[in-house]
Amino acid sequence: MSHPLRLTVNDGEYLVIAAAGAYLLDVLRDDLGLQGTKEACAEGECGSCTVLIDGEPVDSCIYFAAQATGKRITTVEGLGRNGAHPVQRAFAALGAVQCGFCTPGFVVAAAALLQRSPNPGVDEIREALAGNLCRCTGYNNIVAAVLAAAGSQDGDA
Amino acid sequence: MTAPAPDTVGRSVGRLDGGAKVTGRYEYGVDASRPGMLWARLARSPHAHARILSVDTTAALAVPGVRVVLTGADTLGYLASRYVRDEPLLALDRVRYPGEPVAAVAADTQEAAEAACRLVRVEYEPLPVISSVEEALADDATVIHPDWASYWVSPIIRRPGGNVVSHASLRRGDTAALFESADHVFEDTFEVPMVHQASLEGRVAIAEVDDAGVVHVWSSHQYPFGLRQDISDILHIPLGKIRVTVTGVGGGFGGKLYAGAEPYCIILAQRTGRPVKLRYTREEEMIATSPRMGATVRLRTAVAADGTLLAREGWIDYDSGAYSESSPGVVSVGLLTLAGPYRWQALSIDTRAIYTNKAGCGSYRAPGAPQAVFAGESQLDRIARELGIDPLRLRLHNAVRDGDLGPTGQVLNNVSLVETLQAAADRIDWDSAGAGHLRGKGLSCTWWTTTGMPSSAYVRMDEDGTFVLITGATEIGTGAVTAGVAQICAGELGIDPADLKIVSADTGTTPYDFGAQGSRTLVQAGNAAIAAAEDLKSQMFDIAAAKLGCQAEELEMSDGEIRHTNDPELSLSVSDVARLGGTRGGLLGRGSYEQPPTPYDADSVQGAMIGAFNIPSFATHACEVSVDGATGEVTLDRYVVAQDVGRVVNPRYCEGQVTGGAVQGIGQAMFEEIIHRGGHVMNPNFTDYKLPTLSDVPHIETILVEVPSDSGPYGAKGVGEQAIIGPPAAIANAVRDATGHPIQRLPITAERVWQSLRGPGTAS
Ligand code: FES
Ligand code: FES
Repeated sequence: MSHPLRLTVNDGEYLVIAAAGAYLLDVLRDDLGLQGTKEACAEGECGSCTVLIDGEPVDSCIYFAAQATGKRITTVEGLGRNGAHPVQRAFAALGAVQCGFCTPGFVVAAAALLQRSPNPGVDEIREALAGNLCRCTGYNNIVAAVLAAAGSQDGDA
Repeated sequence: MTAPAPDTVGRSVGRLDGGAKVTGRYEYGVDASRPGMLWARLARSPHAHARILSVDTTAALAVPGVRVVLTGADTLGYLASRYVRDEPLLALDRVRYPGEPVAAVAADTQEAAEAACRLVRVEYEPLPVISSVEEALADDATVIHPDWASYWVSPIIRRPGGNVVSHASLRRGDTAALFESADHVFEDTFEVPMVHQASLEGRVAIAEVDDAGVVHVWSSHQYPFGLRQDISDILHIPLGKIRVTVTGVGGGFGGKLYAGAEPYCIILAQRTGRPVKLRYTREEEMIATSPRMGATVRLRTAVAADGTLLAREGWIDYDSGAYSESSPGVVSVGLLTLAGPYRWQALSIDTRAIYTNKAGCGSYRAPGAPQAVFAGESQLDRIARELGIDPLRLRLHNAVRDGDLGPTGQVLNNVSLVETLQAAADRIDWDSAGAGHLRGKGLSCTWWTTTGMPSSAYVRMDEDGTFVLITGATEIGTGAVTAGVAQICAGELGIDPADLKIVSADTGTTPYDFGAQGSRTLVQAGNAAIAAAEDLKSQMFDIAAAKLGCQAEELEMSDGEIRHTNDPELSLSVSDVARLGGTRGGLLGRGSYEQPPTPYDADSVQGAMIGAFNIPSFATHACEVSVDGATGEVTLDRYVVAQDVGRVVNPRYCEGQVTGGAVQGIGQAMFEEIIHRGGHVMNPNFTDYKLPTLSDVPHIETILVEVPSDSGPYGAKGVGEQAIIGPPAAIANAVRDATGHPIQRLPITAERVWQSLRGPGTAS
């Protein structure tokens, strides 16, 4: 059975017809064409599919689209609308991106972290991003990029 | 090519694909689509080993939206595996591992394809399951490939038959005499499980066939030219009727070097006349795609009382799974890495790949090496401990140096092992007294190759003076192409790397490259790019010299200007030359590079596809751990890698290769293991197959050592694979230092350490 759903994504309003039980990730990628959000495990283990719901990071692969109605959804495409978000700039500049498949999930999660804690320490960054897997970088440069983005943020975000 | 490096080299410039990747605009294989595209899905065997009695696709075909269902009968003669062609595209008369494809479906939707797969009815008659190498080698073992002798085999490979895929051996010097006379002989056995590349993007491809029968494949792949050859070999399609375009690649690590999803897409596209996409789920990745081989490693080492290594005998039995994939090549790497970077008077090593009823194994970053090095470097620490010699001094005493011979007699040049040992030991404060109760430090040393083989490139100058690098090399995430080769090429052209455009990895538009494998891209594709830039520049200088009335040899190019070396007033802008050149239809520089093979003593090896390490490089890993005596839990407090990279082209991405490799190696050391029961994978997901996260690993401290090579760009050596090799032994040695108990099986889980604390061992 399909239902019409009204979703607010990156400040835009969308009406989609989604199967009951459709996951938000599939609706974003397949119905709205927002393919920046990635799937790597489809069971809430890797964080590749991270989006923000009312500013909080969630794994969209295990989050029903229907749960998101009436909430504010932010995807990687919505992060950098006034020029790239400082986190995105820092990731690109500081080697936090290799294959980049984990990157949308990381930058979204890191942006949420900086929103609630503008100057996190290394331990806080490690803890906040421990739910996101990266198979390429070994994480050094990801931590460095989030630290740098925090330092560059004032009045920029 | 040790010409002076341009000023772009040695700087951490940004990568050309960085912007698209951070904003989510970069298009990966999973994102690609074609108009009118169908979805494919494979029906897979639930049995590890069984005869197929019948296959009935009637119910599957009746699912609405299903366009075609193919079985083994439709794919007769389509055999995969590059070196021993033993793998039917779809099983015909028997299945040899759980998850082996028995039917391929194309349907309008993924849901319909999946539903149809569940309705493919196959009648099986189970056969005895070979679930380990030991069982495979038993005298009365069921032979997994009864027809093994009839398979096509590439040259060099030695196949004794039965369940042995291939056998390589190394013999140098008189091991028997040395073992006879040695003061000490040490013998140990080590076990290493299969581990998976686990690239976050799995295998995914699209194929489309045009009216003339030309096949176009889009694939998340590391080696488009190899894939084109594989497709031609497997499906008997002429090479010239195949085009492979690489999409964005969400990680490879060796897992995307061979044909995978592509041939299925092609046969389904041929049947339906529609583009077909096949994407493996995470579970399919984990149960049915080519992981790193597990291994049993036995070694005996003869040592003099002063710690001088004399001779080594070694045996590695690698578990190849049900198909050969890359194992016939990998066994030869075992010969070189079990010897390690040490001086030996004699060596006798045998490495084999063995068939079992598990998914066929393939290449994973430094294939074959971590298994061997875990054994060799762990045993070195046992030797040091029992002879009362410091493990660092034992290694320094035996380390290869310039002019020494490698295990197969290659002459070693630009050797940097001692430098890396000293750098890593200094950084970890090796000599500072014992870290305390249940704390320990460990070391391991590695050496690795920079694979040769051809690379070609074009550098094109467009009408407005824009430069475009056209390379067959593939960017799989390392930055080797979009940072390193781009920097090299831009430097040679005297422009900012950000202004260079790149076209890459498309057999339809780019020249040949041997692929993103063997740590070769920066070195080999870099050399090709230099040659192409040189060629373009000489054409531009000819045009400019005629215009300026001087000799071409008197010109140089930088910052968009061509100038006379002695008279800077005499100059032309690149865009002026472009306009002049444009009247001749534009300019194209061409460059190819292929290093001559590294000489070695060919008589010392048999059955070895790889007999020497090309441009070898060296590394030392050092770490510090603490062990919880109550739980056995190991905490990695510090981790240091000192690795020789020859010449740093981009410090940030160079370090990124080292840190990324080290963390994958830490995963192998501490967490990762494909757990099998009766051939079935028990942990086919990221919940149960644990990858290292930010909470598991410390900041990786890297030291880039620069001992230039003779032939890499400005002295560069390969970087990508080496750092994955060292961690299991370094961590096992640190745990042993902490607890006094050896670790001889990976991964080093809390449970295993806890058990070792209660088992026999020596007090620390
Ligand atoms: S894809 Fe959602 S957590 Fe992995
Ligand atoms: S950059 Fe490849 S998974 Fe993180």
